[in-house]
Amino acid sequence: MSMTSVLRRLRGSLRSSDFESSMEAEMRHHLELEIEALIARGMNPGEAADAARRRFGSVAQVKDDCRDSWGLRAIDAIRQDVRYAARSLAKYPVYTAVVLLTLALGIGANTAIFSVVHAVLLRPLPYTHGDRLVEVRQQAPRIGVANAGVSVKEIQDYRAQTPTLDTIVEYHQMSFNLLGRGEATRVQTGVVSPEFFDVLGVKPMLGRTFRTDDDSPGAPAVLLVSHSFWQNALGGDPGIVGRAFEMNDRVHTVVGVLPPIPQFPAENDVYMPPSACPFRSNPQTIANRQARMLTAIGRLRPDASLDRVQNDLAVVSDRLNHTYPADYDAAHTGFHAAAASVRDELTRDARPTLLILLATTGFVLLLVAANVANLALARVLGRQRELAVRTALGAGRGRIARQLLTESTMLAVAGGALGLGCGYLVRDLLVGFTSRFTPRADEISIDGTVLAFTLGVSVFTGLLFGLLPAVTRRTASATEAGHRTVGTARMGARNALIVAQVAISFVLLVGAGLLVRSFIKLQQVDGGFRTDRVITMVVSLDFVKYNTANARRAFFKSVLDKVEAEPGVQAAALGITVPLDQQQPFLAGLTIEGQSLGDRSARPQVDIKFASPAYFQTIGMTLLSGRLFTAADDAAAPAVAIVNLSMARHFFPDTDPVGRRVSFDNGRTWMTIVGMVNDTRDYALDAKPTDEIYRAFAQTAPLNATLLVRAASDPSVFARRIPDVVHEVDARQPVSRIQTLEAVRSRSLAPPRLTALLVTLFAAVALVITAAGIAGVVSFLVNQRTTEIGVRMALGAPRSSVVRMILGQGLGPVAAGLVLGIGGALMLTRVVTRLLFAVEPTDPPTYVAVAITLAVVAALACLAPARRAATIDPMRALRSE
Amino acid sequence: MKREKSDLLQGTLDLLILRTLASGDMHGWGIAQRLQQLSQDVLQVNQGSLYPALYRLEQQGWIESAWGDSDNNRRAKYYRLTKSGRKQLAEETASWERITAAVARVLQHA
Repeated sequence: MSMTSVLRRLRGSLRSSDFESSMEAEMRHHLELEIEALIARGMNPGEAADAARRRFGSVAQVKDDCRDSWGLRAIDAIRQDVRYAARSLAKYPVYTAVVLLTLALGIGANTAIFSVVHAVLLRPLPYTHGDRLVEVRQQAPRIGVANAGVSVKEIQDYRAQTPTLDTIVEYHQMSFNLLGRGEATRVQTGVVSPEFFDVLGVKPMLGRTFRTDDDSPGAPAVLLVSHSFWQNALGGDPGIVGRAFEMNDRVHTVVGVLPPIPQFPAENDVYMPPSACPFRSNPQTIANRQARMLTAIGRLRPDASLDRVQNDLAVVSDRLNHTYPADYDAAHTGFHAAAASVRDELTRDARPTLLILLATTGFVLLLVAANVANLALARVLGRQRELAVRTALGAGRGRIARQLLTESTMLAVAGGALGLGCGYLVRDLLVGFTSRFTPRADEISIDGTVLAFTLGVSVFTGLLFGLLPAVTRRTASATEAGHRTVGTARMGARNALIVAQVAISFVLLVGAGLLVRSFIKLQQVDGGFRTDRVITMVVSLDFVKYNTANARRAFFKSVLDKVEAEPGVQAAALGITVPLDQQQPFLAGLTIEGQSLGDRSARPQVDIKFASPAYFQTIGMTLLSGRLFTAADDAAAPAVAIVNLSMARHFFPDTDPVGRRVSFDNGRTWMTIVGMVNDTRDYALDAKPTDEIYRAFAQTAPLNATLLVRAASDPSVFARRIPDVVHEVDARQPVSRIQTLEAVRSRSLAPPRLTALLVTLFAAVALVITAAGIAGVVSFLVNQRTTEIGVRMALGAPRSSVVRMILGQGLGPVAAGLVLGIGGALMLTRVVTRLLFAVEPTDPPTYVAVAITLAVVAALACLAPARRAATIDPMRALRSE
Repeated sequence: MKREKSDLLQGTLDLLILRTLASGDMHGWGIAQRLQQLSQDVLQVNQGSLYPALYRLEQQGWIESAWGDSDNNRRAKYYRLTKSGRKQLAEETASWERITAAVARVLQHA
């Protein structure tokens, strides 16, 4: 056969409905012409039609021959199988519905989770050379600093001295007030090197990205707008390029709009080059080697490996430590530089959770396949007579096996299609879930790869559950099927399936149980502060208008006075942070009066916070020693501080810290510790409290402050009121991040809660599937043994012994499954250790509870068919044979 | 790929169809009429059996088909001889003549 004819055949078979209708039309045309010709010769229409048909011969036969000629025969055989399978499935609607539903659940869950894994872990980053991007990190592990940031001077050093990196670009995030469209908007601003977007390989959607001359001193200030900010805040204005906004008291012109891509390292509304950022362009910042406000992103040379980059960076950081010992003190801080793959960083939090979910859904699919195999086996046994008849009529064993496989594959593919539908439906939920772990969540989609995965999984499942009945069929013969006996091989296969199902369910339930217990423990953690009835928000000042400390203090004082006077406000306070709302502590080097540094040149680091007098009362903290701040601790009064318990234990062991003096500027100014408060878990409920020191808010003068309000009742009513109060003081200063402390805490708990919820959901599905499987097997057993049970009862066996016998038969494999499951769980649940808090992966209560649950559910699943067995009427049972 | 040897009858019908189409494009009924006319009703085949032969020839690539308008403004499927069909016709005609000549010789002299 030539290539073209193969193509023709393929085309013909793909478009077989076209083929049929064309053939039909052609023959009709022929008959019409023939009839007309015959009429023209003098026949009447009736005779002519008959004669024409006679001359033509059997239309059906001719069509068949034509199809053969066209090569549709092989396709027709498959089609026949499919048609037959559909007919026989339609005869058992309940079976078909149960199987389809089970498959849809199993395959849907796998499709959904795979779409996430594919988008987050498998696909390359959506940047050109995304896999060659690394973050250059400075670490000081001995003083607990995992990522110190990088200063301008340091970036210059690394850029000049790391040959394996093409280039290094900088990034840092600021919040600025954007004016030019009605009220002031607080915008997240990414401050980036002009080459930043070129290194990422991001092309602008409108206008241009930055050029080197945008960063030259005195260049006009320019902005790039993110796609979502352009859409949401600027109304998608196509003429946005060239528009001017006021920011930091300067005119900034928009030069471009970014495409809708995941933003790295973080989401921003707008971007500007370093020269436009008033902090970054400050000569003091540039000169200060310790002003580590930047993130450094490098791109590997095409021929360089990550290891070589690590080596290069280690060499540079050694050199830095050697040249500027006071700035690094590697001997005590453990200072060194390292490269972290950007891709790994972006997905690190998501990886363990996603892999566990993938494994979970994989197990669920195995369960589904086992269950469906069991149902299919039962059905094959039920159809023993039909199949035996077909065998006797000459259907080859292969043909029947093919028939069974066609049925199962059809079911699996249909189930897969349903599952895919489920996958589509839950996409938004999954994006929401995943966004708690990684910025790549928006990339989740059901694309070609996911479709191929689903199809593959469906066909694989179909083969898996179709093969078992097809293979075990070999033990059945026509003669055997005449009798109502149970093939022991097949019963064994079914019991083995139950053992496997129970074991898998056990592992999943233990996993779910551990995650739930861990979450409950996490939820019970006392953060050291009270979240109820507290609402918080950030007030950010324009540093041009409020360019003196006094102006800022005056502003915040009048805001606080006004808020405290609001009806319904129990307490109000100013701070610099909200517990559980920050990622990183704000560390500063500490000097303690009377304590020498010893042989170390770097000072120990503690987390600095600001607090107005009512701060501790507002969030329900406890004074352990000394006093809290008072209104008298103002800018004119001596500087005071309050330490937390952790810091007191750490730096003043066995003594009261109250009365001691500390300094954060190497002893130039001192502040007196006046009190000690309890520890708070400010960064994560599962992390140890950090060493913290509070300064009196009135003795500081920050540009951004957090306003915390304790309400007499529902705090959410203040979400609108308090910003109004702030705007009564100055209408141009924006208020942002308005949230209740309860919401902040709940958000911090969302990842473990959602993970526990999802795994529990899958485990519950597994339990239901397993219970259905057990019930199915036992009830099949009862059916098969109706006669035997009838005989036993006729011979005087009491009903209770029948129930016991059936229960024993059913629960045997369950017990075996439990034993296997315990072993499997001990081995497998170790992988969830990373996700657990205060719970061991071998937690005995979880194992016991799961074992009991499974045993009870299995017993219940056996009970209904066993009781049915007990109600068998011996006479009818005997007659039925 | 080498074509399998067709049995005489099928091969004959193929040959006749190819020959008929050599004188112009035609639809199925037209081919049947023409065969009947030219053979002066000696070759009275079941008209239907023409079609599997046409489909087979099209699969072989010797003829091709297209729907077009017929004289009385109806849609009809027209067949046309392809280049390779023309070559095939020449070969089959030659081999037919060789065989009939041989058979004739045998019948005359045996």
